[in-house]
Amino acid sequence: MNETLKAARLDFALLRPYWKTLCFIILMPVIYTGVARSLSAGISFEMCMLGITASYTFAISEKNGMERLYGALPVARRHLVFGKYLLICATGLLALGISLVTHTAVLKALGETVHAWEIAVSAVLGFFVYTFYVVFQLPGYYKFGAVGGKMFQFIPVTGYLLTLILLPRVDPNSPVLTAVLGRPGALAGAVLLCCAAAYGISIVVSVRIVKNKEV
Amino acid sequence: MKLIISNVSGVPIYEQIKQQVKSAILSGELQEDEPLPSLRTLARDLKISVLTVTRAYTELEQEGFVRNIQGRGCFVMGRGSELIREQLICKAEAGLTEAVRAARMAELSAQELHRLLDILWEENENG
Amino acid sequence: MDNVLEVKGLSRSFPGFQLKDISFTLPKGYIMGLIGPNGSGKTTTIKLILNMLKRDGGEVKILGLDNIAEEKAAKAELAVVFDSNYFCEAWTAAQTEAAVSGFYENWDTNRFHQLLERFRIDPAKKVKDLSRGMQMKLMLACAFSYGAKLLILDEPTSGLDPVSRDELLTILSGYIEDGEHSVLFSTHITGDLERAADYITYINRGSLFFTGGKDEFVDSFRIVKGGPEDLTEEIKARLIGLRTHPTGFEALVRTEDLERMRRTGGKAAENRSVRGNRDSETVRFPAYTGALGKSSPVDSWTVEPATIDEIVVFTSKTPDDNGE
Repeated sequence: MNETLKAARLDFALLRPYWKTLCFIILMPVIYTGVARSLSAGISFEMCMLGITASYTFAISEKNGMERLYGALPVARRHLVFGKYLLICATGLLALGISLVTHTAVLKALGETVHAWEIAVSAVLGFFVYTFYVVFQLPGYYKFGAVGGKMFQFIPVTGYLLTLILLPRVDPNSPVLTAVLGRPGALAGAVLLCCAAAYGISIVVSVRIVKNKEV
Repeated sequence: MKLIISNVSGVPIYEQIKQQVKSAILSGELQEDEPLPSLRTLARDLKISVLTVTRAYTELEQEGFVRNIQGRGCFVMGRGSELIREQLICKAEAGLTEAVRAARMAELSAQELHRLLDILWEENENG
Repeated sequence: MDNVLEVKGLSRSFPGFQLKDISFTLPKGYIMGLIGPNGSGKTTTIKLILNMLKRDGGEVKILGLDNIAEEKAAKAELAVVFDSNYFCEAWTAAQTEAAVSGFYENWDTNRFHQLLERFRIDPAKKVKDLSRGMQMKLMLACAFSYGAKLLILDEPTSGLDPVSRDELLTILSGYIEDGEHSVLFSTHITGDLERAADYITYINRGSLFFTGGKDEFVDSFRIVKGGPEDLTEEIKARLIGLRTHPTGFEALVRTEDLERMRRTGGKAAENRSVRGNRDSETVRFPAYTGALGKSSPVDSWTVEPATIDEIVVFTSKTPDDNGE
C-alpha cells in the first residue's frame, strides 16, 4: 500500500501544475445543472467531463519522456498502475463530493427543491458514469498511449447514448422494473459492486499490458 | 611537485607521468620518503583515468623509483637504490653514445673526446 | 575486486537489428565508457540493464543483485541520466525532490539542496526554464542525493556546449574519487572519454568489439599514413578503414600487425640498450636499416597514436565507404 501511495503521489505531482484546469472542470458543470434544473443530469455531465481528464497524466508523462524516469525508479510497475487508479478514483470521489454540495446549493438558490433520495441517486449515478468512463480508457492509454487510446473513450459514450435512447422504450409497469426500483438500497449496492468489479478487471488488464510493455 | 600532461605530445599519459616523476626524483626535487600525490586525487585533478595513474605508479614501483605502501600511498625511494643507480647509468650511457656518434661525425679522435669529458666533468663539479 | 556491474551474454533481437552476446564487467570505483556509432546498440544495452526492454538471453548483475529478480533493490543503488530531461517540465527544481525522494530510503534532502546550490540551480525555477546543461545537472543532483553507487549516463553530453561537458567530467571525477562509486557513460562523443575513462566497452553493429582498459584499447592501435605505392594486397588486408587518395593513404592498424609488417620488410627497428631492455614503452625510434636487409615500406610511413574517436571511425567503416 505504501508503494501504491508513493506512486499516486507521483502521479498527483504531474497534475498539480494543471490544477486550474481541473478546478474549472469540477466547478463549471454547475451551470448545466442550473440550466437543466436537474441534479442527476448535472452530476452525470460533470463526471463525464472529469472522466475525459483520465488521459492527462498519460499525456504529460509522454510529453516529458517520463517513462525513462519510471524505468529508473526502484518501484514495481504494477504499483505505478495501482497508484494511478487510486488517484483517478480518489479524484472522482472528491469531485463527486464537491459537486453534490455545490450543485445542490445552486439548485436550492434557484428555488428548486432537492430531495435526499435525489442526492443519493445522483451520487450513485455519478460514480457509475465515472467508473465506466474510466475503466475503458485507462487500459487503452496504457496500451496505445494518450492519443492512440482516445478511441476507448467512445465505448462508454456509446453506452450512455444507447441508454438514453433505450430508456424511454422501457415499459414503466414491467414487473422486473418495479421489483428493481422497489428496492433502491439493493440496486445501489448492486451498482457499486459492479463498479468495484469493473475497476478490478480494468486494473488486472492494465497491469498485464504494462508488464509486457517495452519502453 | 609539478606535473604537466600534454594531450598532443603523442606520448601516452602514463608515460608522461612516469618520465616527470623520474626526472623529479633523479634531479633531487623529490626527496626520499616523500609521498606521491594520492592516486585518485591526482586522477581527479588532472581529469585523467584512475587506471592510467595506477599504471604509472605501478611501473614506477617495478622500476624501483617508488614503493607502494598499502593504504598509505606511494613513497619515493632513496637515490641510493640499486635500480635507480642503474637507470642513471643507463642515462649516462645514452648520453655518451650520442656524444661518440657526434664526435665521429665531427672527426674528433678518442683522445680529444676524453679531454672534452674531463673538462665537462670539472665544470659540472663546480656548477 | 568488487564488480558493480556484470553483464554476461546479453542479447536481444529486433526486426532489422540484433544485439548479440554482450559481456562486460565494471569494477567498483571506475568509469567505463560505452562507445560505438549511432545505432550500434548502446542505448539498447542500457535499457536491457534497466529492464526497460526484455532480454532474449544473458544475465545482468548490479552490485551482485540480479536486475530482474531483484529489480527494485538493484534500482535503489543506481541512478540514470539520459540525454534529455525526464522530469515533468512544469515542476520546479525543488518539486522534483518531492516527486522522487519518496522512493529512496536514504534520500538526503540537505545534500540535494547543497547540490542545487553548487550547480547554481534556482529551486524555484521551472524545469522547462532551465538550460539543457542545468537540466542535466538537476538529474545528477537527484542521482547524488540518495547515495547511488552506480551512475549510468546515456548520451548525457549530446546537445551540451563544451563548458557543460567539461563541468560534467569534473563532477564525475569527483564522484568516483572515493573509490566507492562507479560510472557507466554511454556516448558517441568520445572526446569526453579520452582522458577520464578507465575502461572501454565498444559495441559495433550489435556486437562486442572490445572490452577492457582504455589505455590498452588505445595502445593496441595506431594510425598510419603513407604513400599509395606501398599498398600491397598483403598490407591492405591488415589495414582497417583504409582511406586512399591520389597523394597517399591513411588507415588504422593493430599495433601487433604493424610490428609484424615492419619485421617482414627487413631489419626491424629495435630498442637498443647495452644494459638490457627495461622500458615498457613501444618503439618510437626512427627506422633503422641494417647493413643487410632492405627497409620495410612501413618505415616510410607516419605512425601516430590513435584517439578513441579515430578507432571508432575507422573500425566502423564498411568496405564500400570509400570505393575500396
